[in-house]
Amino acid sequence: MKEKKSGQAFAAAQQIGKSLFLPIAVLPFAGILLGIGSSFTNETTIATYGLSGILHQGTLLYGFMLMLSNAGNAIFGNLPLIFALAVALGMAKKEKGVAVMSSAIFYMVMLITINTLLTLDGSLVDGAVSESVKEGAITSMLGIQTLQMGVFGGIIAGILAAILCNKFYKMQLPAALSFFAGTRFVPIVSMAVAIFTGAVLYVVWPVIQNGIFALGSVVEASGYFGTFIYGCMERALIPFGLHHIFYMPFWQTGVGGSALIDGVTVMGAQNIFFAELASPNTTQFSVEACRFLTGKYPFMMGGLPGAALAMYVTSRPEKRKEVGSLLFSVALTSFITGVTEPIEFTFLFLAPTLFAVHVVFAGLAFMTCHILEICVGTTFSDGLIDLILYGVLPGQEKSNWVMLIPVVAVYFVLYFFVFRFFIRKWNLKTPGREADGETAHLVSKDEYRKATGVGVAGQKASSAHYDEKSAAILRGVGGLDNLMDIDCCATRLRLTLANSDKVNEAVLKGTGASGVVIKGAGIQVIYGPSVTIVKSNLEELVEQIRSGALSESQFMDQGSAVPAPSALAEKKTVRKSAVLGAPMKGRMLPMNQVQDEAFASGALGDGVAVEPWEGKLYAPADGVVESIFDTKHAIGILTEDGTELLLHIGIDTVKLGGKHFEAHVAQGQKVKKGDLLISFDLEAIKAEGYLCTTPMIICNTEDYDSVRPLAMGEVEAGQDLLAING
Amino acid sequence: MKTFTYTITDEVGIHARPAGLLVKEAKAYDSKITVTKDGKSAEAKKLMALMSLGVKKGDTITVSVEGGDEELVAGKMEEFFRNNL
Repeated sequence: MKEKKSGQAFAAAQQIGKSLFLPIAVLPFAGILLGIGSSFTNETTIATYGLSGILHQGTLLYGFMLMLSNAGNAIFGNLPLIFALAVALGMAKKEKGVAVMSSAIFYMVMLITINTLLTLDGSLVDGAVSESVKEGAITSMLGIQTLQMGVFGGIIAGILAAILCNKFYKMQLPAALSFFAGTRFVPIVSMAVAIFTGAVLYVVWPVIQNGIFALGSVVEASGYFGTFIYGCMERALIPFGLHHIFYMPFWQTGVGGSALIDGVTVMGAQNIFFAELASPNTTQFSVEACRFLTGKYPFMMGGLPGAALAMYVTSRPEKRKEVGSLLFSVALTSFITGVTEPIEFTFLFLAPTLFAVHVVFAGLAFMTCHILEICVGTTFSDGLIDLILYGVLPGQEKSNWVMLIPVVAVYFVLYFFVFRFFIRKWNLKTPGREADGETAHLVSKDEYRKATGVGVAGQKASSAHYDEKSAAILRGVGGLDNLMDIDCCATRLRLTLANSDKVNEAVLKGTGASGVVIKGAGIQVIYGPSVTIVKSNLEELVEQIRSGALSESQFMDQGSAVPAPSALAEKKTVRKSAVLGAPMKGRMLPMNQVQDEAFASGALGDGVAVEPWEGKLYAPADGVVESIFDTKHAIGILTEDGTELLLHIGIDTVKLGGKHFEAHVAQGQKVKKGDLLISFDLEAIKAEGYLCTTPMIICNTEDYDSVRPLAMGEVEAGQDLLAING
Repeated sequence: MKTFTYTITDEVGIHARPAGLLVKEAKAYDSKITVTKDGKSAEAKKLMALMSLGVKKGDTITVSVEGGDEELVAGKMEEFFRNNL
């Protein structure tokens, strides 16, 4: 139980971290604008490079540079709001747009609630901060004076809005209030909860604030050793994907220190750096902020490429060619962009001990930069691009970036020798060193096909083309039925499974992954930056199977080459869950209230009935017309998901012998959800003394776990009406 | 396998309600029960298949029962058809 709980907490933390990738993706670009813009509006820079002739207040170029700088600033200044929206987007399961809008509402209402309470207690007087308030405790966010909560405030708003959306997006209300039901209820309830949350934060946050200030001062007071610990922690959390959550407080909140820049209190290491970058009065970047930013340059630009070289020279000569291209590309990625996951995951799973060594070196790198007072900021990660923008362009005076060159060089040599030593000493199976016949993750496509059998027999067996890699991934996770959700971040394919025991790591690694992390119901397969393609291919394959264009058994059975323990369990037919639309406009009627014992008793199957207001019957889902009766009052549909549906217009209407009914489809015809199936003369049928109650029956109810109505009262044709869960 | 034929006397034929009753009855037994009309067959335990046969009043159907208790079940089914259809 405890394990499950920690697994869930991990999954939730993962999801938050993953949600932040969208805004994090914009940071490098915003950072470039800010970096270029502020560098060339900075009077010192202008003077240094002798540009005062073309760059001064009033020139077009100056105005342009100012624009770039301010555009970049708009992102960094409103990061809490952006995070609120992004977290809601990432955490909401359905109706993501509603969650995002509700999150904005939530955040604004929360801020204004706190503002009101601060005004009432005298902390704010006429919109100005009272002198009794601790410096930096109150800030202006979206033009509202409120407690300084940094991105935490935004993340809280995003999480709660997403939870509310997941809970209430199908909320039902009495008929009179039905306009406010469902998704429209979400922003309403968000507003109410935001007031409450704001009130709670007003009480709790100052306590946390004091704690953060205290923690920040502990880290600051701990000096070089504190920096070392920070560097180690940040690297050690990488395998769990939790590093974003760890470093963010240091970068974005008071934990990372605070500074007074141009009369404004700025909190968080990254914010301080960029405020200093933007400020014309900066003479030197503050080392207290950069101790959390600069430390990655030595091992990202020097160390890891050195490690790649060590792996190359220790690989067996006959393997060097293929290993070389991979190692070169991952080393180059690390050097230029500072995206290190591809290379780190190359050795993390093969040789965890080396990763431990790497963690210690990372801590030392941070400490070294701190001691040498090198102050090169970063937006996202520490590669050549950021070094140029935040070290070279601002100038040696401010950043001391020249000192970084020997450090990077030393790290390159250090990593090369240390890695070479340990690889040889422990005979580590880094790429190109596997024993003969052992499946490494660096197999060529042909070898891979032969090894797994995928794409050899499979392509002959079926004319339908499919992606072999995706098929192998599907096999590696125990089949489509075990796969609940597909997602990815910068380098990892993130899958949520029904049962992670079914995972076959060997198969997954055979698909070109550099590693597999399993925790609870979530697994991460690390592919590097190409992961987005892997993800869309996999989604495409899933779509092909669901649409019936491909049969999963086509390639699942070929797993015999690499036995998947789950293969047998997959044989059981498990029906897919589905949601059926209302077949007509009218009033929903529970099945047991239908005036006909055959339907009401559920003898024909579970379902729901509609008392129609219009004489038109529409298809509730995509499928095929299985049967349509001569009397045209009932129609059987086999949906694409395998649900056997019977729609029966009226009670005893079979006796009308087809009178007043008109069929618009024929037996065997394919229909799409919303297609008109049958029209009928509602008034005429009623005049003959028949009820028009139309039951929608799931004939194969026994194949499902549950059949559950989703709406009450008035329904529109096509509106979600019945959920069937496999 | 045990078979028998039956001519439908019910006004509406094997439609929703009687079909539902037939399925319910058929499901009570382990034996495989098949209804055939004009060369088209349907398993009696499957409502949709059964109804798509479009059996009407006056149609003659063949019912076959296959399984360990087929003797007993065939008798029961014949009784069911006479009472309900």
